[in-house]
Amino acid sequence: MEKWQGWDKIQYEAGLDPHFGTKIASIPGGDKLLACIQCGTCSGVCPLSPYMDYTPRQIVAMIRAGFKAEVLSSYTTWLCASCYSCTVECPKEIKITDVMYAVKRMAIQEGVYPKRFPTPVLASEFFHSVEKTGRSTESWLLVRMYLKTNPFKMLKQAMLGFNLWRRGRMGVGVESIKRKDELHRLFTAMENETRAERRAGQEVRP
Amino acid sequence: MSAVNASPNGTPKVGVYVCHCGINIAGVIDVTKVVEFAKTLPNVTVAQEYKFMCSDPGQELIQKDLKDGKIDRVVVASCSPLMHEPTFRRAMAACGGNPFLFQMANIREHVSWVNKEKGSATEKAKALVAAAVRRVVFHKPLQKTQVPVNSDVLIVGGGISGIHAALTMADAGRKVYLVEREPTIGGHMAKFDKTFPTLDCSACILTPKMSQVRAHPNITLWTYSEVAEIEGYVGNFKARVRRKPKYVDEGLCVGCLECIEACIFKKGKFKDEFNVGLSLRKPIYVPFPQATPLVAVIDPETCAFFRTGKCKQTCAEVCERKAIDFNQKEEIKEINVGAIILATGFKTFDASRIARYGYGKYPTVYTSLEVERLVNAAGPTGGEVLLPNGQKPKAVGIVHCVGSRDEKTNRYCSRVCCMYSLKLAHLIHERTGAEVYNFYIDMRTPGKGYEEFYDRLMKENVHFIRGRVAEVSDWAMTPEEEGKLVIRAEDTLVGAVRRIPVDMVVLSVGLEPQPDADEVRRRFNISCSTEGWFLERHPKLAPVSTFTDGIFLAGACQGPKDIPDCVAQAGAAAAEALAMIDRGHVELEPNTAFVTEEFCSGCKTCVPLCPYSAISFDTSKNKAVVNGALCKGCGTCVAACPSGALQQNLFTDEEIFNEIEGVVKYV
Repeated sequence: MEKWQGWDKIQYEAGLDPHFGTKIASIPGGDKLLACIQCGTCSGVCPLSPYMDYTPRQIVAMIRAGFKAEVLSSYTTWLCASCYSCTVECPKEIKITDVMYAVKRMAIQEGVYPKRFPTPVLASEFFHSVEKTGRSTESWLLVRMYLKTNPFKMLKQAMLGFNLWRRGRMGVGVESIKRKDELHRLFTAMENETRAERRAGQEVRP
Repeated sequence: MSAVNASPNGTPKVGVYVCHCGINIAGVIDVTKVVEFAKTLPNVTVAQEYKFMCSDPGQELIQKDLKDGKIDRVVVASCSPLMHEPTFRRAMAACGGNPFLFQMANIREHVSWVNKEKGSATEKAKALVAAAVRRVVFHKPLQKTQVPVNSDVLIVGGGISGIHAALTMADAGRKVYLVEREPTIGGHMAKFDKTFPTLDCSACILTPKMSQVRAHPNITLWTYSEVAEIEGYVGNFKARVRRKPKYVDEGLCVGCLECIEACIFKKGKFKDEFNVGLSLRKPIYVPFPQATPLVAVIDPETCAFFRTGKCKQTCAEVCERKAIDFNQKEEIKEINVGAIILATGFKTFDASRIARYGYGKYPTVYTSLEVERLVNAAGPTGGEVLLPNGQKPKAVGIVHCVGSRDEKTNRYCSRVCCMYSLKLAHLIHERTGAEVYNFYIDMRTPGKGYEEFYDRLMKENVHFIRGRVAEVSDWAMTPEEEGKLVIRAEDTLVGAVRRIPVDMVVLSVGLEPQPDADEVRRRFNISCSTEGWFLERHPKLAPVSTFTDGIFLAGACQGPKDIPDCVAQAGAAAAEALAMIDRGHVELEPNTAFVTEEFCSGCKTCVPLCPYSAISFDTSKNKAVVNGALCKGCGTCVAACPSGALQQNLFTDEEIFNEIEGVVKYV
């Protein structure tokens, strides 16, 4: 029998972040988050809510109540497929998908996202691959993802990979573009631009 | 012109009274400083502060100073004049002062409520007081004018609200004109089977009132008619009512229904409006057996004679009383009334606007109004809840908040849907034994006996799922769902998404303003809220009056309302109208425009601009003339007059310029 955890279920105010809700609500259009009537339309239309640890409605309630630790480490945001059904159907016009992104950004910044969960790993590996070579190499992308999440699963998928390779559907070599230095110059220029913009923005704001 | 000369009794003596309004004003403005400043202003003889100037002791301060001859003009620095200007004017008049030698400085809405910084707020309050003091010196001792009131009443809309208001007024001995657009009175209530929470039969309580209306000697009932035009002003309105032809003489028809039997259409072929399209009617019909008046109507859109000119006219042949008249023409009736009560009601939300609920796509998705007809013993199925295939449903889902509480459709709560959904849940459960699932966001059951009714439904084992329905579809995922409609919603109290297969879906549609509400409000010159409901004068203290004197509101045209509230409001509207009529006369505010003849060049610019048709042109003198009884004091003509010949009482140039100077000079 599992250990009885009744006492831990009380959520003390000291354990909550009272500014978490307003912080997430400060994204463009996020003020509507505070107007949520908890009708559950978002969870009802969400194609992935059955797989989530908290339904989107619960995430919104927890954001407002300041359950920062639970929200940032939950799998819900990472399961979100950005189909925008919730945003379209929400009767209070809350941009729930954008809220999910805001939560994801904060989780990454604070380093509390589920690190061995495939979605964030795949996203970051994809980004690194494109940044480095200008292309995504699916085979190595998957290998890296499995190594960082669940290496045993790779063994399970090995046969499928082999078959795909045999029919020429998946290569083993690293794909790359020709003039990588130009791409890197592009990235650096963009990064500098964003930084400069951000600085300018900060100066303008009182 | 100097200020001193403008005063009727030599030097003007202005009293300034600064209100604390509890901490509403005093919390931000240093009231004592404002009083000290007021004492230094020219012509001010008294300056005082008080906690609540609008209270009796506050008013008595003013009255005492007036009686003692210390002051003859008053400035109160307090709230917006909307609420308490009449209060202070009354206080002045009560002790012999002229109520128009008064000016209010709004230092609450314009200063303390919108300023946080004490110093600058106090400075602004001083500037406004200075302006009011400068202005009030130029006020003239105006007199209100009295006009007699016509004691007849026009009531627009023959639903339960209009019926109740009409009967109340008629019982009090007033002559009532009740105008209804449809061929029968009764409105939405006539379509219902039972009424919540007592479940008494709607027809049993409504139809006696309907026949009372028809029989009442003081009521003139005009159905199938619309008010085309309104002229005049409080106490003296002139209305033009358009009476559409029924092609059946109301005086001759006795409602024997033989013409309907004889119609060349052997069966109904056209959608029956009264049964919201659930049954078919013939081109000649009566809406329902208890229709009032019980007179057949010919619909020219569908009648073979009107469409083709070729018809044997069997209806006319069979009518022994020769009541059918294909040559009947539209009639215009002109009536004079003193008061108007608007009771034009509502329409239900068009459920096909929300595509994911499948209304119009799946034949077993109904709106609540359609189900009202289905459960009605006089309805198309004789009170049996039957699906199009003729079977009784085994499971029924009731979807709340369709077209309510939604930014994309209507933001407001329609107020009646929770309760009527409970009622329909009970009736469906009772008639079919089906499992009934209510999908709600919040249950709203405030009202006498309403929560008890909810409690009763829960004990009847009707299911309540807290969650707004995401989708209604026929897409089966399990064998049990085959051939059924599936309602998908999050059960928010459990935190899980549920799929519930049902045979019938009821969409609890919200209430919306009538589609022509905006046209009607323009015709009657009243205001609408942003949603399109008619706007009451004050949401708490004048809920049945409008901003146009003499026009009152009753029922759901002012906002979603259930039957008890409609009846209560109709009674209130009747009482307010009676109070106005029984006074015998109305007092008109003297803030009207007037022409200084020697300046008027006769250019006629003002004549077409007046929205109340109050300006006429005297061709013998070549001057414009303002009818004081019609003028509402909007100031349009004053602004337009190129020669400054038009001025408005209480807003003369010297009053306004001195007020501006008062602010500017102080700053």
